[in-house]
Amino acid sequence: MVELRNDRLIFSFPDVHPSASLVIEFQRTLRIPDDNRAYPLPPGLGCFPLRHVDDSTERVPAPWLTRGGVMLPMYQAEAMWIRFEPALDSERGVEYPFAIAIAAGKINAVTGQQWTNQIHADPQDYVVAPRQPWIDGFCVTKGTIRQFVAMPLGRGYTAEEQITEEAEYGGVQIQVYPMTAERFAARFPVRTRRPVLHDTLSMPMMLPTMARLPGKAAAMGLGAGGQMKQEVYDDPFDFEDWHRNHPARCFVHLANSEMWRDFTGEDAPHKPPTAADYTRAGLPWFDYYGESPSLEGSAILRGLKTILQMGAKKERPLAENEGVAGEKVLVIRRPRNSAEVRDGTF
Amino acid sequence: MTRSRGFGSYLRHQREQRRGKDAAFSVRQVAARVGIEPSYLSKIERGEQPPPSEETIAAIARELDEDTDVLLALAGKVSSDLQAIIRKRPALFAQLIRELRHLPDHAVLRVVREVRDGEW
Repeated sequence: MVELRNDRLIFSFPDVHPSASLVIEFQRTLRIPDDNRAYPLPPGLGCFPLRHVDDSTERVPAPWLTRGGVMLPMYQAEAMWIRFEPALDSERGVEYPFAIAIAAGKINAVTGQQWTNQIHADPQDYVVAPRQPWIDGFCVTKGTIRQFVAMPLGRGYTAEEQITEEAEYGGVQIQVYPMTAERFAARFPVRTRRPVLHDTLSMPMMLPTMARLPGKAAAMGLGAGGQMKQEVYDDPFDFEDWHRNHPARCFVHLANSEMWRDFTGEDAPHKPPTAADYTRAGLPWFDYYGESPSLEGSAILRGLKTILQMGAKKERPLAENEGVAGEKVLVIRRPRNSAEVRDGTF
Repeated sequence: MTRSRGFGSYLRHQREQRRGKDAAFSVRQVAARVGIEPSYLSKIERGEQPPPSEETIAAIARELDEDTDVLLALAGKVSSDLQAIIRKRPALFAQLIRELRHLPDHAVLRVVREVRDGEW
């Protein structure tokens, strides 16, 4: 089942395993410049507010009610990353594994294929938590993603429109599969030893006080923005380990700030800073070392035009695309748990 | 008997409250709309007859704008759709219900609020 608590989605499978529970949050972040440079990881600026579409039945568009799920407000000047936090199984000192399919406008963010209600092993079209702590965009080549950025639906910018030539769905789609209890028990036997302390890995949440900037945006889907260094990791388990007939899924609709106010009666959060302003303020970027094999990336997604390339043909879509130099980068290392052995340099 | 009298007197209280404002809530008229004999409804209200079938209770709940599950509970019954849900996964739901039994209402509400999935 899927619940919404404190602006986070909680996917839990109590009938599979008591520890089979995964928190997914949608972090606000700045939009990295779209200038052919692969940027480090931008910061987390806090969670997007999330609300049930069913709490605004009188106001939201009818297709949103048909699809169900939740909604969040997004500015065209901001971007999103999605964070995965599986529950810790305290008996074993490991986090419960999940396979997670992510799509934008029903285009799979790992393969560029259109949505199906299944996951596939070849090519792998899902990420695996806890190995994958987050995903920031569309997987274009090995070690590079193109950032999830908000663009108005219906103007041809979004990944969905470029691939399907339709602006039907928009939003973000998430489908979660737990590992089967049998495979979990077999892979992670209970050991009689002291428990491993859970080292919670989270990007520092920092939100400098920003002036409220005037902003106007349209209905939203996700397009491919600037390039970022990020691995989408291989599934370290067997495909048969996943409880594939037992997924839970959620449709996350994207509203612009005016729609949000109309739907919920709440103001959307302030706009995030630009990448240039953020860097000039001396605030840090991040680099993550996971030390695991990763996927090659999708040729379909590689073929997506950037917002900038499309903008050359159309109106000027972005007010701000200033490059960034001399940024301060903090390195994050994957916290190792008892289940994974690190390989080093011999 | 206590339980069914509770059901009957609750029913009569609710019906008479509405009747105070609207004559359509007389025993005769409510019984007619529910599809039972007025004397039967009257006996149920006085606790002289045990509560009627689930179907009839649901019809009465609709007439009086009452919650069907609450009326069924007053009658000592659990709706058949809930029974079917529990029968499908008995161990899980038995555990869930036992865990919920001492939680305050707001916590129970939080537990049952799922994100609704629809047609994509």
